[in-house]
Amino acid sequence: MVKNITIFTTNTCAYCVMVKKYLSSKGFGYEEVNLDQNPERQAEAQNLSGALTVPVTVVTKEDDSQEVIVGFNLGRLAPAVS
Amino acid sequence: MSIKKDHEVIIIGAGPTALTAAIYTTREDIETLLFERGAIGGLAAVTDHIDNYPGFADGVDGLVLADQMRKQAERFGAVIELGEVTKIDAGKSSVKLETTSGDVTAKALLIATGSDYKKVGVPGEKEFFARGVHYCATCDGAFYRDKRLVVVGGGNSAVQEAVFLTRFASHIDLLVRGDHFRASDVLQEELKKHKDKITVHMNTTTDEIVGEDNKVVKVIGTDKLTGKKVDFPTDGVFVFVGLMPNTQFLKGCGLELDEIGFIKTDENLMTNLKGVFAAGDVRHGATMQIASATGEGATVALRIREYIEGHKVINE
Repeated sequence: MVKNITIFTTNTCAYCVMVKKYLSSKGFGYEEVNLDQNPERQAEAQNLSGALTVPVTVVTKEDDSQEVIVGFNLGRLAPAVS
Repeated sequence: MSIKKDHEVIIIGAGPTALTAAIYTTREDIETLLFERGAIGGLAAVTDHIDNYPGFADGVDGLVLADQMRKQAERFGAVIELGEVTKIDAGKSSVKLETTSGDVTAKALLIATGSDYKKVGVPGEKEFFARGVHYCATCDGAFYRDKRLVVVGGGNSAVQEAVFLTRFASHIDLLVRGDHFRASDVLQEELKKHKDKITVHMNTTTDEIVGEDNKVVKVIGTDKLTGKKVDFPTDGVFVFVGLMPNTQFLKGCGLELDEIGFIKTDENLMTNLKGVFAAGDVRHGATMQIASATGEGATVALRIREYIEGHKVINE
């Protein structure tokens, strides 16, 4: 079961829109961290993903385990929230 | 959640061609399902600003244009499924598709999967993908605030995205393999306005992307006029060296492709497979413009309507 979801985004990122659209379509809420508005959290996104890109989606499960999905990757995102 | 199995029209892709086609088919009450595995709006959606699409005197942000097209298609009843088509099988009376959302069929199929940015194909490119090597400035540019960048390419995308990246980067080296830009005059003029931040290197190949401690540190190129190797110290590389068609998933289905992988069609935009159409950037001969993509979307929708209604027998 999903406990919470955080998405790191930027203003101009089309794939970020897709992640949000997908999660909304499946009825999931999420916290959005916009790195244009919160550049100080960029290192956090980078540390979680190991990449210099957005979207970074962090799915935290009930047991506090986390799954980090880089990009709009339905092959990983769908099972992570199922 | 499973989706309805049998459809009148299925469109693979949800870029400008696909969305325009969907607007036309759904306005004719032809039920239409689209599959999109990436961004709705395709490459248009990841383009910072679009200045050459008619109807927007001051230009329009790619993301905004894509969203308006999506809303317009959905207003008439188009349904966009976020999923991937993995196999197509064209039969006598319908086309069968295997998808991540289950197996479906359509009376007519439109392949409008567009194209994606090509790799430059040098050492270091794969190793540092998304960790210093990028193909989407609007996605990843924000990670390079006050950093040095290299942009590779001399076409419209390279110049436009280099200009966009000046919002973040302290300096950009733009490496152009040829002796002139392929970018439009308007974009070249825009580039000149940013000469304080962008240094253009014509006749310069990109040979290797070099990293240290898991970070990109430089690009090694060659000055073709002198034959000498040149180092470009950088924190990241953005590559815009042309487009390749998104047709890998079609291998083995019998669809006729050209030597690069673009789909061949007849004058009705139908492929060699009955009931399977192709339009937009994925089609052999496409001009890779949003305006022509939407035009092809309208044209192919009319051809699909004729095909479905049987008013005109095509490809028999």
